[in-house]
Amino acid sequence: MKTLICLSLCCSLFSGCSFKNVKPWEKESLAKPIMQFGGIHAAVSKYESHVYFSKEAARGGAGVGGGGCGCN
Amino acid sequence: MQLNRLSLITILALSTHASLHAENYVTVDFLQYNENDNRVAVSAPSVSAAYDIGTDFSVRADFVNDAITGATPVWQSDALTDGGSGASGRVVNNTGDYVYKNQSFNDVRNAWSIGATRRFENRDELNVGINYSRESDYDSKSISLDYMHYTDASHNRSINFGISGAFDEILVKSIANGGKYRDDDDDKSYYKDDDYDSESGASQKETSNTINLQLGVNQILNETSSLKVDAFAVLSAGYLTNPHQRVVRNYNSAFQSLGDESRPDKRTAYGVALKHIVLLGDSVSLNSNYRYYTDDWQINSHTLEENAYYEASKNLTLGAGVRYYTQTAASFYNASKEHFTDEIYASSDQRLSQFNALTYKGSVDYKISDNLSYNLGAEFYEQSTGLKATMITTGAKYHF
Repeated sequence: MKTLICLSLCCSLFSGCSFKNVKPWEKESLAKPIMQFGGIHAAVSKYESHVYFSKEAARGGAGVGGGGCGCN
Repeated sequence: MQLNRLSLITILALSTHASLHAENYVTVDFLQYNENDNRVAVSAPSVSAAYDIGTDFSVRADFVNDAITGATPVWQSDALTDGGSGASGRVVNNTGDYVYKNQSFNDVRNAWSIGATRRFENRDELNVGINYSRESDYDSKSISLDYMHYTDASHNRSINFGISGAFDEILVKSIANGGKYRDDDDDKSYYKDDDYDSESGASQKETSNTINLQLGVNQILNETSSLKVDAFAVLSAGYLTNPHQRVVRNYNSAFQSLGDESRPDKRTAYGVALKHIVLLGDSVSLNSNYRYYTDDWQINSHTLEENAYYEASKNLTLGAGVRYYTQTAASFYNASKEHFTDEIYASSDQRLSQFNALTYKGSVDYKISDNLSYNLGAEFYEQSTGLKATMITTGAKYHF
């Protein structure tokens, strides 16, 4: 039920809002390295993910790439 | 100048907001991770490289080596030996009781991954990846595939679907077998032959498989902000028990014993992840993340993370962040040695307990030249279980 509520919330975020139609020449700010969802250092993000994977029970949500490990 | 401006516009028009930084590079990074109380220490150098083949293809490769030493807390007999190394030492004191204390170990993990991206005429992207990770008692192979599709001509909204499959092999060092491995496949010489026990059969090589699914939407909100929403599912089956963890059963009875922990052989998890990024002024970005996770082991989790980056100058970028994590305990978890009797599933692994965690972090990125940059980062991680850890990262990136 909680999952359904969350999914509904996400759908409503996109269906109920209007977004500006940003033209390609208006995307200079979005192209900055500091504007990337994964942060400015991919390797550091991977290290962090690995630490959290080995110390916490929750997983997922950061993409489907990457391998597994024993991490005990 | 005008040409540069036109080039930038052309690049932006062709690019996606999710992959604007496709580039040729080589990075070398190093992680030093240390836990308090002489627990785990990890030194992990890594190398990554990516190369664009024209505008429609790119390839990438990564390698990381983890050298792990230290100890992890597990239930153990309180017997003391003069040799100090378990079965080989002479027992000098044994009250028959159990203590939850650190057990020493060391291991080396090598992980490789390679991937390729194909961009289509409308700039949709198909990514494929292969990963391989090997430890002395754990082998993991995985393959991933994800597709990103633009839903509008201005490339302001994209949807993406990803799927991966991981296929793991685990060598189980069962306490019922005197702590020896059994390797069912003699050809795999990397398994520890010294620990191989072909007669008892009490220990075994196990397997587990995990399917990871993710469906998401990436929406540019305006010239300075974007939103990303993903729903995900993680479906695991097979041997999901931690082969290093123990539980005490029937404590204070004639049948009290120390045995292997046991977890269900299936785990189904779902969740939602939201990411928002916004540029404040010309030089500060705020990256806000939230993840909700739930699974059928009754673990529910919330993760909140806020990262900020500041372009202090053309060459210097500073970063700071904080992360809050909380989870409920698995239904079969209990920390007490007096709790378990004959339950099918039982674990005292702290990672399945109820706890909160906080991470504080900071970073410095310095561009030495147009092609070369250097970064240094520090993180402090603290759990309500008492675990504390520091993480120092450093690396260099060369563009070409």
